[in-house]
Amino acid sequence: MYRFIYYVQRDLRRWGRAPLNMFATMVMPAAWLLFMGLVMPVAYDGNYLDFVTPGILVMTVLTSGLAAGSSMMFDKELGYLNKFLALPAPRESILIGKIVFVTIRGLLQATVIMFIALLIGASVQSVWYYVGTCVILALFSVVIACIGATASLSLHDYDTYAAFQSMVSMPLYFFSTSLVPFSSMPEWMKCIAECNPLTYANDAIRALGTGDSPWLALAVLGVLATVMLLICGWKFRRATLN
Amino acid sequence: MTAIFAQDLTKRYGDLLAVDRLNLSIDNEIYGLLGPNGSGKTTTVSMLATLLAPTAGTAAVCGHDVMQEKQAVRDAISYVPQHMAVDIRLTGRENVDMFASLYGIRDRAERKQRVDDALAMMNLTERADDQVRTYSGGMYRRCELAQALVHDPQVMILDEPTVGLDVSSRRSVWEHIVRLKRAGMTILVTTHQMDEAERYCTRVGIFKKGVLTDEGAPQALTAQYRTVVVIRTEDGAPSRVPDGAQFVQCENGEAIFTADDGAAVLPQILAAYATEGKRVFSSLVRQPTLEDVYLMTIGPVSTDDGAFDRNNFRHVMNRSR
Repeated sequence: MYRFIYYVQRDLRRWGRAPLNMFATMVMPAAWLLFMGLVMPVAYDGNYLDFVTPGILVMTVLTSGLAAGSSMMFDKELGYLNKFLALPAPRESILIGKIVFVTIRGLLQATVIMFIALLIGASVQSVWYYVGTCVILALFSVVIACIGATASLSLHDYDTYAAFQSMVSMPLYFFSTSLVPFSSMPEWMKCIAECNPLTYANDAIRALGTGDSPWLALAVLGVLATVMLLICGWKFRRATLN
Repeated sequence: MTAIFAQDLTKRYGDLLAVDRLNLSIDNEIYGLLGPNGSGKTTTVSMLATLLAPTAGTAAVCGHDVMQEKQAVRDAISYVPQHMAVDIRLTGRENVDMFASLYGIRDRAERKQRVDDALAMMNLTERADDQVRTYSGGMYRRCELAQALVHDPQVMILDEPTVGLDVSSRRSVWEHIVRLKRAGMTILVTTHQMDEAERYCTRVGIFKKGVLTDEGAPQALTAQYRTVVVIRTEDGAPSRVPDGAQFVQCENGEAIFTADDGAAVLPQILAAYATEGKRVFSSLVRQPTLEDVYLMTIGPVSTDDGAFDRNNFRHVMNRSR
């Protein structure tokens, strides 16, 4: 299974050699942070940057994670997947490679965002906060990447996947605690937010920042990541072993 | 041990019988699978490359069953699909090195040597460190071949290796394939290019609607027919074809007939045209080619050839990324 590393290396090289793509993935989340943290007029008791930064981090990893699906679809559509499937390397290493790649990329983006957040006024935290945030985001990235990859293996073409991606990402984001505290939500929205993995990722990071226990949210994310990995692996085997 | 062996190999998609009881025995040769689009060629190579599970029958590559010993089959083969799938932002060397790694060659020095050898064999050494997006179509394909032979496979399966290439690139790719065969490799290739199959394949098999209808050395297949008579006309074939001639088909303003003695029957064919008032611009008697054999085997050309070909479109998009 170690051969997933070569797929990760391939995707990292491709990403690194597309300057506009790389620039956009690194800079756009930072632009969102500046817009949400400094420009949006909000009434909030405390440092709104401290509140909204986890939301931006989670949004970034959400977008990055869903790219596992588009990347898988790209390989499927252009014939790379068939070629890889005829290789002696374990087939699941293709899937693991995609998940690891989008997770690494999401964490690189998250690092840039956390750095910019500090520059523009977010509270300085302990090293463990940043390490813990990376762990939470990595778990969350696995959940989202598995959702994206499973969808791409079920859908027929890139256009359909793009429609799925836009249909899923925005509702997931807005019906979570990314931008609005749980206490400020109407009751109906709280019900949706409670079922939303973004809420747990946000809550876990914010709990780390305020010194509260993040374990419940972390446990939920851990279970979700395991379940989604199993579902995605099952779907991958079904889709590739005809 | 036969390199590629299939017995009653069958693939069914619902009601569609894609491959019907195929029997193959291929060893140390270049074997060409010919047939129109949708005749079952790609389905066959996909089953042999362990990408598709047969519905019935058995197949083995280098003695390994394609269903029971998939891993051993994948270790023994290289599969190059129809649509060129080389990462254009990676260099030629990186592309080949990645495949060497995926084939399990872990020793760094050995891998480097094998990558260098594969690139040299495909005449890519000078451009090995350039990104593939700067390569020509022929170089794309040669890079894919370098990827495929980096682990020294016993069997290479090529699905339409020269599609989309210009004449000189096609020739170059085929010359490399012939060199691989001389080095002892067994090569199974699907192609639509009859002239290439006739020139380079040791044997060919002609598919029609999932059935292997004719098989043999190109020379043996063409020897079945003595002569071909070609009539240039816009009026099709006469309603009554003279005895001793057999009408094959009309295509691109040419009516094609076969005959044991074309020169002898030509005047009668021309007379049949004149009797029916059909105009003839010119006539020709020649030796049959593999294309003639192919056309006689599969029958009239499909009328949907002008339809949108999604696969070809995808291929073009891939090339232009």
